[in-house]
Amino acid sequence: MSEMLAVYQKHLGEWLPQLIDAAGNTLRMTALAFVLAFVVGLLLALAKLSPIAPLRLFASGYIEVMRGIPSLAILFLIYFGLADFGLVFDAFPAAVIGFGLNGAAYMAEIFRAGILSIHSGQTEAALTVGMTPLAAMRWVVLPQALRVVLPPLANFGIALLKDTSVASIISAPELMLRARDLASSSFRPMEVFLLAAAIYLVMSLPVSFLTRRLEARFSRGQAHV
Amino acid sequence: MLFWERFVDNLPYFLEVLIPAAGMTVRIAAGAFVLAIVVGLVLALLQTIRIGLVTLVVRSYIELIRGTPVLAQLFILYFGLTEVGIRFTPIQAAILGLGLNGGAYLAEVFRAGIESIHAGQMEAALTVGMTPLTAMRYVILPQALRVVVPPTTNYSIALLKDTAIVSAVAAPEIMFKARNLVMETYLSAQIYLLVAIMYLVMSLILAFISRRLERRLGESGTTGQAGAA
Repeated sequence: MSEMLAVYQKHLGEWLPQLIDAAGNTLRMTALAFVLAFVVGLLLALAKLSPIAPLRLFASGYIEVMRGIPSLAILFLIYFGLADFGLVFDAFPAAVIGFGLNGAAYMAEIFRAGILSIHSGQTEAALTVGMTPLAAMRWVVLPQALRVVLPPLANFGIALLKDTSVASIISAPELMLRARDLASSSFRPMEVFLLAAAIYLVMSLPVSFLTRRLEARFSRGQAHV
Repeated sequence: MLFWERFVDNLPYFLEVLIPAAGMTVRIAAGAFVLAIVVGLVLALLQTIRIGLVTLVVRSYIELIRGTPVLAQLFILYFGLTEVGIRFTPIQAAILGLGLNGGAYLAEVFRAGIESIHAGQMEAALTVGMTPLTAMRYVILPQALRVVVPPTTNYSIALLKDTAIVSAVAAPEIMFKARNLVMETYLSAQIYLLVAIMYLVMSLILAFISRRLERRLGESGTTGQAGAA
């Protein structure tokens, strides 16, 4: 224990700024992948609920396939696989696209559940007052569904934040990759990885705390069996 | 197109390497799953005895594990512990890392399952003279089982896919063997596509088994369910 403290005393000033710098990349990767997953996921959810059969089929197929494959395999396909076809990505954008397209499948199911949780009378009423189906979705259903999907979206975001550590395996510049570099250059893997884990914890705890409060607030007054 | 021809020519060799590797993936996932269930159950039960210090330790474990990436935990186990002279083989580290990680998630699932059983059940069992342990074993847990099976089977599917990351500590499972094959042949698109299909098939099989299990437990569970829910 005291030896560990001595290691931190000696190296913390050098490690911490580097790891925090890399944590910024982790946050950027998470945010970009989240936005991509959000947009694609919403489109997939709408496609799966649409009256057009080929669209439904495509969305279902996409969701089933994506959810059955590890995100690491998807990162490898994008980063190494697409290079065969002349599509060369840097590791960072490859990770954003991989996590985004993979996460979209999970996001789509969250959105679909949220949209279905809104009573169909809402759409009917909107159509009755002369809205088009799209306008009803945009102005009546989605704003209400957003409230329902907020807690699962936040949970998805937290999971994504931690999952981005996997991008270190394709050498994308983020927190875990920097930690691996520092661990191998200092021969102090225990101390470095514990510090990296602590930084992930600091990033994820506030969000999960807020989410839990949000969930508690939303479930208040709802009948629970 | 030359690539695809070479891929088809080499397909028997790829399968010869990757199918045993898939067996290793399943073994790692199964080992981690059993460990996660044991750890999760112990942690969930420890929280029911309501001793402040025990609850604090258990809650801290759960929050720390769930707040950090499993890859970081894996590296601490595999690389970090060597500093204090503890060396695991990649497979041991993989099973321990994924299992201890999953234990924290399953603890929450099991706790929710136990809490979903009406308190009157426990009171009634104690009234007829059962000890708290027997009541837990014969009254609460069998009823909680039905509640926890769907999230637990979902976890098992997520776990199967998460085993891919143990390739980072050189555990000889599908992903690790695939990377080696790519280094040998440079057929990255084809090999990773094959790997993705193998995971997909395994996930779909597991999802199919899970659904059947849930349906069977759902049927048997409806009998004699007077007071719960």
